[in-house]
Amino acid sequence: MFFNSLQFAIFLPIVFICYWFFANKSRKYQNFILILASYYFYSCWDWRFLFLLVFSTLLDYFSAIKIERSQTKSGKKFWLWLCISINLGFLGVFKYYNFFAESFAELLNGFGFHTNPVLLNLILPVGISFYTFHGLSYIIDIYYGRIKSERNFVDYSLFVSYFPLLVAGPIERATHLLPQLKVKREFNFEKAKEGIYQIIWGLVKKIVIADSCAIYANAIFDNHNSMNSLSLILGAIYFAFQIYGDFSGYSDIALGTSKLFGIDLLKNFNYPYFSRDIAEFWRRWHISLSSWFRDYLYIPLGGSKGSKLFQIRNTFIIFLVSGFWHGANWTFIAWGLINAIYFLPLLLLNQNRKNLDNFTLGFNFSSVRILFSIVTTFCLTSLAWIFFRSKTIHDAIAYIQRMFTNQNFSPQYFNIERYNYEILFLIVLFTLVEWNNRLKIEPISGKYSSLKLALCILTILALGVFTDYKSFIYFQF
Amino acid sequence: MKKFILFIVQIIVTTLVVAILLDSFYTYVFLNNNNRNKIEFVINSNPKKYDVVFLGSSRANNHFDSRIFSNQGLTVYNYGISGSRLEESALLLKLMIEKKYLVKNIILEIDLNINSDGFSNGTRAMFMPYLKEYETIQNHYHSISNFNQLYYIPFYRYINYDSKIGFRELFFSAIKKKNSALNHEGFLPLINDQRPLVATDLSERSPKRNKAYEEIKTICKQNNITLIAMTTPICAETINRDYFNHIHKIYPEIYRMEDTVIDDKYFSTCGHMNEKGAIAFTQIVFDKFFKPKNKS
Repeated sequence: MFFNSLQFAIFLPIVFICYWFFANKSRKYQNFILILASYYFYSCWDWRFLFLLVFSTLLDYFSAIKIERSQTKSGKKFWLWLCISINLGFLGVFKYYNFFAESFAELLNGFGFHTNPVLLNLILPVGISFYTFHGLSYIIDIYYGRIKSERNFVDYSLFVSYFPLLVAGPIERATHLLPQLKVKREFNFEKAKEGIYQIIWGLVKKIVIADSCAIYANAIFDNHNSMNSLSLILGAIYFAFQIYGDFSGYSDIALGTSKLFGIDLLKNFNYPYFSRDIAEFWRRWHISLSSWFRDYLYIPLGGSKGSKLFQIRNTFIIFLVSGFWHGANWTFIAWGLINAIYFLPLLLLNQNRKNLDNFTLGFNFSSVRILFSIVTTFCLTSLAWIFFRSKTIHDAIAYIQRMFTNQNFSPQYFNIERYNYEILFLIVLFTLVEWNNRLKIEPISGKYSSLKLALCILTILALGVFTDYKSFIYFQF
Repeated sequence: MKKFILFIVQIIVTTLVVAILLDSFYTYVFLNNNNRNKIEFVINSNPKKYDVVFLGSSRANNHFDSRIFSNQGLTVYNYGISGSRLEESALLLKLMIEKKYLVKNIILEIDLNINSDGFSNGTRAMFMPYLKEYETIQNHYHSISNFNQLYYIPFYRYINYDSKIGFRELFFSAIKKKNSALNHEGFLPLINDQRPLVATDLSERSPKRNKAYEEIKTICKQNNITLIAMTTPICAETINRDYFNHIHKIYPEIYRMEDTVIDDKYFSTCGHMNEKGAIAFTQIVFDKFFKPKNKS
């Protein structure tokens, strides 16, 4: 059940009505309705994976209690590592087994030992990376005594399985979400309205921007050998907007949907393409994952303490693991590595926490410099996205090589009936709207909200892509 | 909560109003343009008289060079549409009759398109802007599964076929951008040649009796139109040429022309002749069916 499907458009109002009209007496009923809805939502993908989700929930739930009850440090450690191992074991089998088996066989073949790896014919359970990380954050927080273990199984299950965030995040923290589930939610009109605005803006991003760009990005990436420099540059830009529109659009719909139930989720995007350097980009892109890695990997590894060499090591580990989290392919690892390399000069020059403030532009040299930094960061990011989008490292290198060496900048004809270079106007317009509203959650609220809402609906209907339906990219992770 | 319900009602009403306005605007633009495709060329036209009309798929559109006929003083138009099936050819013919076209002869390309009673989604899309205005189109599509949605939900038809009649097509129609499909009296010559030719494989195809073809025959009979149904050339490398024997078994009246042009130099792709091939083939067709008999 996709957020942009008719099925979801029927499902959401039903859950909303049940939640606010029939289960409004107590938080227990509210949570019960939400957990039922969440399990139904997940079973719509593939009911068999529901067992895996429930098992993972039970494992984390009981491990947390065991950790808390353990009197000794070694006992706590035992339960922590048992739980982490099983969780990562499932992730490893479903997501990474074939990759490791194939890579190992290739390595052996390289040494002259010819082997045929045994591959598993498994479907990746939707959202496994996300709910595994939910559970892990909870367990680690319990281990460090940051929170008390949750004894109410329904509440804990809801924390793991809450349907707006179940399949593609944001990756929630127990410290943020569980307290909200422990109190009865009262209906708040302003919050619900904000949620609706966010859902509609998310749909604009997904259906209008991401899916339009996807048509061209796919055509260019799939035929990169016959594309000229101009088309390849445009392909990288289209993909940059596709993945941004797709994932931030999804996150907006998730956050907006959750607001309808009176629950706030963690912000996942903060206009990342307006970042002035790569460190700022990573503070604004997929925030819930970046902060997860920061809190549960980077800081435990020593973070920014210690020598520069130590910091560099930690930075590379974070980016490589982050890349690998996205998928079992060398392209994601290369993408992580490239971002680490981008980050390196900032780290060495102690500039990685330079751009923390908001900025305004005027008619002065400093504004030109800011704009230049933003464009440079966007170009670097788009270049790295080529690895993320390509099927193999070889494809990505060939793409970039051709982009720089072809030197042909004449327009190429695409046999696609929807748009051609007109799509660039759409991207520019979208960028301007986001720029003007970069201090807000979404651009609809505020003055003339009714008019802006009507314009968004008009944009979705008139410019949306409905027939070449594209699934959300991050659902595969 | 009451405020929220009113807010949701406001959104629903806004969506409905926007959809109605968009639907009216799109339909208005498509109803006032006749240079984007052959369907609107018929719909937005005055009655016409033709000696010869070509109908069929791309194998009609690219194979019948209307100029050969018009140079001989005949009024002619190639209404072949790339990708279309016989179902759309039948509907186009019905619209011509409704628009009071007087047609003496129809040359119908009928070969690969007789494979099934299927339809072309892309060509069907081009009829959709006129669904509410033309009873002929309504009747033709009345039995399709999503007819009610297409007919009653405002703007649904444009959303459902957005790649064909969406914003881009609207924009080009609004600025009256001419489509090359309407040049050369409807004939679209192919210029680039694929080399080597990749053989068309017909082994998976089996010709069947076709409802739309039967319908075209009936319409022609009722309107005193001479129907000349024929196969058109396909390259020598084609796998399973026996397919054409099967067509002939089912419909013996179909003229077999698939071997009239065979040399690879006349083909752009295996299934489509280039301009040279089209000229050669059309000349053969003209000579066979329309050349005045030698009086001596």
